[in-house]
Amino acid sequence: MDVFVLGMAVHPPADVVGGKRLEEMVFDTTRAALADAGVKRAEIDHVTIAASDELDGRAISSMLLAMPAGAYLRDETKCTDSGLTGLCLGAMRVASGVFDIGLVVSWNKTSEAPVENVMRMRAEPFYTRPIGLNMAITDGLFAGAVCERYGITPEAADAQARRAYAQALRNPRGMGRAAPTPVAMDASPYVATPLREIHRAPFTDGAVAMVIASGDWLSKSGGRRAKARIAGLGWRSEPYDLGAERLAGLAGFRGAIDDALRTGGGLTPADLDVVELDAQTAFHHLAYEAALGGWGAAVSPGGGAFAQNPYFCTGLVNATEAVRQVSNAAYGVQVAGARRALAHGAHGYAQQGHVAVVFEGV
Amino acid sequence: MAHNKQVAVIGTGQTVFKSHHPDRTYVELVQDAAKQALDESGLSPHDIDAVIISMAPTVFMGVNDADRWAVEHVFGANKPVMRVHTGGASGGSAIQAAHAHIASGAYRTVLVVGGDRIAETPDAQLVLNLIWDKFYEQDFALTTVTMTALSAQRYMHRYGATEEQFARVVVRARRNAMRNPHAHLKGEITVEDVMNSPRIAYPYKRFDICPRSSGACAMVVSNLEVAKSQSTRPAFITGVSSITHSVFMGDRMGLWSENEYSDYDGMWRAAKHCYQQAGVVDPARDVQVAELYDPFSTNQFPQIESLGFCGRGRAGAISDDGGWDWNAGGVSISPSGGTLCTNPIGVTGLVRAADAATQVMRTAGEMQVDNVRHAMATAIGGSQQFYTCTLFSADHN
Repeated sequence: MDVFVLGMAVHPPADVVGGKRLEEMVFDTTRAALADAGVKRAEIDHVTIAASDELDGRAISSMLLAMPAGAYLRDETKCTDSGLTGLCLGAMRVASGVFDIGLVVSWNKTSEAPVENVMRMRAEPFYTRPIGLNMAITDGLFAGAVCERYGITPEAADAQARRAYAQALRNPRGMGRAAPTPVAMDASPYVATPLREIHRAPFTDGAVAMVIASGDWLSKSGGRRAKARIAGLGWRSEPYDLGAERLAGLAGFRGAIDDALRTGGGLTPADLDVVELDAQTAFHHLAYEAALGGWGAAVSPGGGAFAQNPYFCTGLVNATEAVRQVSNAAYGVQVAGARRALAHGAHGYAQQGHVAVVFEGV
Repeated sequence: MAHNKQVAVIGTGQTVFKSHHPDRTYVELVQDAAKQALDESGLSPHDIDAVIISMAPTVFMGVNDADRWAVEHVFGANKPVMRVHTGGASGGSAIQAAHAHIASGAYRTVLVVGGDRIAETPDAQLVLNLIWDKFYEQDFALTTVTMTALSAQRYMHRYGATEEQFARVVVRARRNAMRNPHAHLKGEITVEDVMNSPRIAYPYKRFDICPRSSGACAMVVSNLEVAKSQSTRPAFITGVSSITHSVFMGDRMGLWSENEYSDYDGMWRAAKHCYQQAGVVDPARDVQVAELYDPFSTNQFPQIESLGFCGRGRAGAISDDGGWDWNAGGVSISPSGGTLCTNPIGVTGLVRAADAATQVMRTAGEMQVDNVRHAMATAIGGSQQFYTCTLFSADHN
C-alpha cells in the first residue's frame, strides 16, 4: 500500500485527565501530531475520526470533536468500531487516489465513560440483556473458553499479568505502574471466574492522532520524511451471538492478521519482528499468543494495554508503538533491528471485531 | 481516473418505510434490504468481500452499537465489517467509505447496508436534544427542528423566501412520493393544507417536517471488473466529497465569518469538489436528478443553489414555476419524494444514494426520469454541519 505515516502523537496517559475537557485533549493531540509530521493543518485534505458516541456520553459526539480533530472545512468521516479501524479507513481513503494527506484521530476518556454500562446496553433486548451480560462477564466467558481450548491455566494468567506489568514499567510512554506483588495477586477479587481483577488491563484516559499521506504527496513534499509505510491491513468481525467457537475459535483474530499479511504483499509471520497485541486481559494475551502459534516476533514489548489502555483507541496506541519500533524510536522497549511490526486492535464484546495493520520501516 | 479506481453500484434494495414495523426486528429489516440488493446484483453473500453499516445514534433503538447485532444477519460474519456514523449524513458517508474500499484496491465488492427505527423512542426530538452541549445548549430546547428553523429564518431574511414557497416544496414532494413504493408519506395535498397544519416552530408547520420512519436500505458496490460481469447498466460513482463545518452555528455567519450558515456553504464546497472529480462543468445542464437530504421543506432551496443548479436566492421562484418538478426538463428534485416523505435518519443518506443510483441504472420504476446521465445524492448531519455529495453517472471517469 502506497500510504505512509508522517507523524503521530499520543496524549500522555492518566487514570483521569482531570484538567482538560475531551475536546482539549483531542485538540492538543492533533496539534502535536501535525507538529511531529511538520505539516500545517492547511495542508490536510481529509480527516478520519474513530470514536464512540456511547463511550463519549454524547450522541453524534463528532459534532463537537471534529473541529479539535482538525476537520473544520475538511473532508471528514467517522467510524465507530475502534481507533485502529479508523486507521484502516483513513489508509484506504488515501489509497483511493481522492486524497493526499490526512489525519486519523481517536480518543476515549474512560474515566467519564461507564464502560460496563455501555457494554451492557450493547446486548440486544430480547435474550442477552435480561441475563445481565456485560464486558466483565463476557471476558470471563472468554477466559473460561480459552482455558479449555488452549490449556491456559489461571496460574499462567497470573504470571502473564506480572510479566505485562513488568514490561509496561520499561515503557516510557506507559503509566509506570509497578508489577503487583504475590500478595496483591492472591488478594485480587474474582470478576467472573476464572478472571480476576488483577488479570485486567486498567482503563486510562487517552487520545491518539496520526498524519498519513500518499507516496505521491510525499515525493512532491520537498524532503519530508515518513516514519513508516502502511504495508498491509485487515479487519474482521465475528458473529454477535456467543458460543464456545465464537469465544475460543479466534477466527476474527486470525482472519484480520491473515488479511494484513496478505495485503502486505504476501508476508508471512516470519517477516514480522514485533506484534503489538490489544489484550484486555492476561487470558486474552495468552490466547492470542497460542493462536499465533509460536511466531518468532517479540510480542507487546512495551506491555501493551497494561502500559496504557484508553479502551476504544488502544489498538491505535499499538499502531504508534509499532511505528516507533520500525523507525527505531521505541526507546526503553526497542526491539533491535525491527523492520516490520504488526499492530492489533480488538473491539466489541468478547472481542467481536479484530483489526491488524502491518507497518514497515522506510 | 485509472480503470482500477472505478467504482460502480450494481444493486440496491429498500424495505417499505413506515412508523413501525411491529412484525420485524432491526436485524430482520436490514437483512431484508441486504438480500434485495444482493439479488439485484446477482451476487451471493459469499461474493461479498466487506460490509459497511450505516448507523446514526443508536439511542433511537435503545441498543448500543446495534450494528454489531446485525453482523451475521447482513452476511458479515467473519468478514471485514465497519460502521460509519456522521449523524444524518451517515448514509452519504457510508457510500463514500465503500468507494474508498473499492478504489483503494483493497476489496472488489462491498455491501453497504443500514436501517433505523426512529419511532421506537417516544420522542425523537428528545433524543436529538442530546446531540447538544449538556451545559450550555440542552436546556433551551435546541432540537433539530428549532436549529433548522433558525437557518430557515435567516434564509428568508436574506432572499425573501416565503412560507408559501416552502409549502409548495411539500406539495411537490408528497406528489412525487406517490410514484415511490417505499415512501412513508405520500399523497395529493395543497399549499393550504400545509399552511393550515399546526405551527411547530416558525416558519415550520407540521407538514413542513419529515416523518419518523423505520426501515432499511442496502447497496452493492463493486469494482469495474465485477460491474461489467454483473450489470448491463451500473451507476458509476464519479464524485465523492464531504465537508465538515463548525458545530457552532453563530460562528458561521456575520461580519467576521468566512462563510454563511443559511447558504449551506459546506455543501457548495463539497459539490465543487465532487464535480471536479467527475468533470462536470455546468451542473444545471449536466445533472438530471438530485436526491436531496431535506427533512424540512426549507432545506431544498439552499441545497439546490449550493449544487449549482441556479443562482443564490433563485431556487424559490423556479420552484414556483415548476422548474424542479419531476421530469419537467430541468433538474428533477427528489423524484422519490425525498427525506420530507421518508426519514429513517441513520440510513436516509443511503436511501438518497440508492434513489439517485437507480435513476442512472434506469431501474427507478415509476419514478424514472428521462435520459439521466448524472444524478446527485446529498446528506446532511449534525448541526447542519456534515455535508456529503455523491455523484452517480452512466459513464465512468
